[in-house]
Amino acid sequence: MSALSPHLLEEIKALPANYPQPRSAVMPALDLAQEELGYLTPEAMSEVAVALQLDPGYVEGVATFYTLFHLQPVGKHRFYVCTNLSCTLRGAEEIVDHLRGAIGVREAGEVSGDGLFSYEEVECMGACEYAPMCRIDHRYHYDLTAAKIDQLVAERKSPSPARPTPLPPHPAGLRPATFPTSGEATPPVKKTRKKKGV
Amino acid sequence: MGGPVLTEWFATPDLHKLAAYEKLGGYSALRKVVTSMTAQQVIDEVKISGLRGRGGADFPTAMKWSFVPKDHPGPKYIVVNADESEPGSAKDRYLMENSPHALVEGAAIASFAIGGHSAWIYIRGEYDLPYEMLREAIAEAHAKGYLGTHPFGTGHALDVRLYRGHGAYICGEETALLESLEGKRAQPRSRPPFPAVKGAWGQPTAVNNVETLSTVPWIIRNGGAEYAKRGTEKAKGTRMVTVSGDVKKPGNYEIVIGVTYRHIIEELAGGYLPGRKLKVFWPGGSSAKVLPASMIDTSTDLDGLKALGTMGGSGGIIVMDDSHCVVKGAARLLRFYAHESCGKCTPCRVGGNWAVRTYDRILANEGSQLELGVLERVADGLQNGRCLCGLGDAAGWVIESTMRHFHDEYEDHCLRHTCNVGAVAAHA
Repeated sequence: MSALSPHLLEEIKALPANYPQPRSAVMPALDLAQEELGYLTPEAMSEVAVALQLDPGYVEGVATFYTLFHLQPVGKHRFYVCTNLSCTLRGAEEIVDHLRGAIGVREAGEVSGDGLFSYEEVECMGACEYAPMCRIDHRYHYDLTAAKIDQLVAERKSPSPARPTPLPPHPAGLRPATFPTSGEATPPVKKTRKKKGV
Repeated sequence: MGGPVLTEWFATPDLHKLAAYEKLGGYSALRKVVTSMTAQQVIDEVKISGLRGRGGADFPTAMKWSFVPKDHPGPKYIVVNADESEPGSAKDRYLMENSPHALVEGAAIASFAIGGHSAWIYIRGEYDLPYEMLREAIAEAHAKGYLGTHPFGTGHALDVRLYRGHGAYICGEETALLESLEGKRAQPRSRPPFPAVKGAWGQPTAVNNVETLSTVPWIIRNGGAEYAKRGTEKAKGTRMVTVSGDVKKPGNYEIVIGVTYRHIIEELAGGYLPGRKLKVFWPGGSSAKVLPASMIDTSTDLDGLKALGTMGGSGGIIVMDDSHCVVKGAARLLRFYAHESCGKCTPCRVGGNWAVRTYDRILANEGSQLELGVLERVADGLQNGRCLCGLGDAAGWVIESTMRHFHDEYEDHCLRHTCNVGAVAAHA
């Protein structure tokens, strides 16, 4: 009995053909394995290694290098909360404190009793203009408040399928939201005083 | 002089769709390039524009392309650095979400310019939405016959491919990125050989930033000379900046290079929060040496910033006001650099952790003259070419520049166990 489904292993074996050299398939393969199991078990990494004809130690070495690979069980829904400088300046630490209470865990990496949630404090996710922010279920959430955290948690606890799909099929409507506080659709490039002599 | 470049079309609904992009003139640059220009002509046009890399290194784009050997018999690659993860920088995400086709078109033009056939976009794993949008954009371009074996009916095959990262700041360093693209732990390579000679999968490669390549179609459409009308004498054009932290209107803004930080922070970003005053800002991502409030009139001119010992970097401007403590801010950034060190070279691996432990002692009110000395030594040990890549230097610059401009705050913490921000500094 293998850790990964036979169907997935076939998919992984087909990956190397997509790249100039087969080794590049290791991260996409680990991604598929993690998607199926929730986290990467030693058995799963070994099976990925066999499927890609790589050394298991090598595969584990790659998996341990990158933040988005998990080698321990995680919640079904994982909060990645940015606590780098721009987010911390706007209250990320209070957001993390609140989140701990909202999902009922004491520290990062701990899985909530119902298995639904865990959280991690992560480095900058490149949405500093919306600080504080987090990522959960493949979506970014901006300008976080305690109330927004409560809402994200409640949506995922409720049995109704009201939760938004991981990615909108049509990202239209995104643009106006990129200026959360100014209400402008486009940043004007203003002609202003230049460095002297120009 | 001159209007916006990167954000020129951003008010257009559905710009992320090929139909809307093309209606405005999108893909006319790629068409022009593959049907009527030589690779050298493309490089020459970009050279006239004066475009420099917007990932942080300011390297002239045309020169980077010209380093890729023309007579190489095997494949040659453009690799797009879409691993934006410099604290304070979000402009590449903004560009990809608004106009993914501009990047796809720019990457294809760059491939043509180096005589290659494929561009690989290495995009950070957290960028789900930009990834989806790029995937759709590439599919649309293929369906239209703008990419593929015969783009626009010509014989120069062009393809743009996507590769997802999995969370590692170091992947923004180009040789670490190449290692990662090859399925390895992302640890920087020793140079030489440089990527132009031996890059992705051992082949000649030019690594370009998202913003850089998103600018290229505009330059081809409007001419390098038109682009060069913007900016300062040596630093041409426009660039994106992300303003974050203690301002009223954080956001991404396109600026003409040469405007002042005062213009960006106080006008574009709306100035400071009520009752607060500027204390310090990072002019180009967390890796750029800080500038104190007194230097708010500094120009964004790239060479001027270099002369000041700092840099425009990746355009991430982090603003900190007087309600926050510089020592705590620096401590937070050192935790970041220590965490993201790949561990390959000793000064960075060890130095970052020394700094973190020292800051921890200081913030626990256990500091003394000793800690001040340790930080100075550690900062020095991280800089000046002692590390394999710039990550170590950047960590050293945070310590060195905050200590230089805010020595009194460090002394308060280390010698008097006080913080002049007092109770206001609830965080950071």
